[in-house]
Amino acid sequence: MAEKFHTELKHLRKETVAMAQFGRSMLKDSVDALVRQDEQLAGSVVARKGDIHLREVELEERCYQLIALYQPMAKDMRVIACTLKVITASMRIGRYGKVIANIVREIAVKPHISHTMSIPHMAELVVEMIDDAITAYETDSIELIADFSTRDDTIDALRHSIFREGITHMMEDPRTITRCTHYIMVARYLERCADHACKIAENVQYMDTGERIEIH
Amino acid sequence: MSGDGIISTTDLNLWYREKHALQSVSMRIPKNKVTALIGPSGCGKSTLLRCFNRLNDLIDHVKITGKITFDDHEIHAPGTDVVLLRKKIGMVFQKPNPFPKSIYENVSYGPRVHGVRDRETLDRIVEESLRHAALWDEVKDRISDSALGLSGGQQQRLCIARTLAVGPEVILMDEPCSALDPIATAKIENLIEKLREEYTVIIVTHNMQQAARVSDYTGFMYLGKLIECGKTVQIFEHPAEELTENYITGRFG
Repeated sequence: MAEKFHTELKHLRKETVAMAQFGRSMLKDSVDALVRQDEQLAGSVVARKGDIHLREVELEERCYQLIALYQPMAKDMRVIACTLKVITASMRIGRYGKVIANIVREIAVKPHISHTMSIPHMAELVVEMIDDAITAYETDSIELIADFSTRDDTIDALRHSIFREGITHMMEDPRTITRCTHYIMVARYLERCADHACKIAENVQYMDTGERIEIH
Repeated sequence: MSGDGIISTTDLNLWYREKHALQSVSMRIPKNKVTALIGPSGCGKSTLLRCFNRLNDLIDHVKITGKITFDDHEIHAPGTDVVLLRKKIGMVFQKPNPFPKSIYENVSYGPRVHGVRDRETLDRIVEESLRHAALWDEVKDRISDSALGLSGGQQQRLCIARTLAVGPEVILMDEPCSALDPIATAKIENLIEKLREEYTVIIVTHNMQQAARVSDYTGFMYLGKLIECGKTVQIFEHPAEELTENYITGRFG
């Protein structure tokens, strides 16, 4: 019975990794679509919303079934607890991708201001954090998340910088208000996605060592 | 472990002839708490439990070294009154074993052996013990009926009442629910929860969920050694030893 449980747990973890990568690709594609003003790509991100929601429901259901049927303990219990958090965080990351993709449609008609400022760089760093969080979850490599606090500080600084730059443009030329407001919102969404990566990291630490940490 | 220890063992070893069944076990049992002993079959948990009230004395070719203290007294010291020790440290076994007598006689047997003759006192002890064992309401109208007519779960609670009747401080339970159905098991578990208010309970169980549910502290034993002992929540959430982790997650045993 234990063998059957561990096989199912392994599959659950594998499919949770796939879901997390799916959410990550929604976010990455949405920012690419924003930068390239690619409405078709943005449309494909929006279309993926239903799929990620189905995965969320199905994987959560499997977590609950494993708990109900096997009453897991110690690391097995911690893996499931962490998996539930990874599922939620991945769903949120994917949903922010969808929200950014919707913005692409709204502002694609006019050229970008200041090449979308630091958004591409910020997105790259956020996606790297998400990648490391997912790999840490997949392979129990907590060393990948050791510097998340510093990386999260960088993300916060970038969001603030985009905010200030946006305000400056808006004050200089009110015609930029719509686009700059959207950039500021996108920076805020990216920062939230980095927070979700940190949440995954905190839970991977718990899963692996039983120790609760808080990444600020 | 926190709290006052009521029983403690120091470097306890036990041999059944050549078999080294307990190997250098040192542990402290906190007072008024429930301590569970878990581990695979043959790991020594029942043997350890039976050391606490010297039940292993009844087995031939047993050799014990090391120290066991109960209330700061060495239980193997010359002059120890073993009958008194077993009065203070009662035991409930795996299979309910009521005497083939009435419910009343089962519970009053212990106090009578210890010299209580007064009928009123015996009546009071019987009622109190049955109430403590959460059995009174079910049997009060047939107290003179044979104990063998009770269900398995009721018989086990009767055995607990019989143990309580002599006023123990510690109750040892060796797989008390393994012969019972889930509803009877739940009743015994609820009872254990209540007993901890007045007694110290040490329970051996192969059911890890049960250990997790009923105990405050858990000791994990493997091949005669106490591998890890600590707060139940810690043992089942993140045990310190890999061996414990592997056992409670079903990777062996």
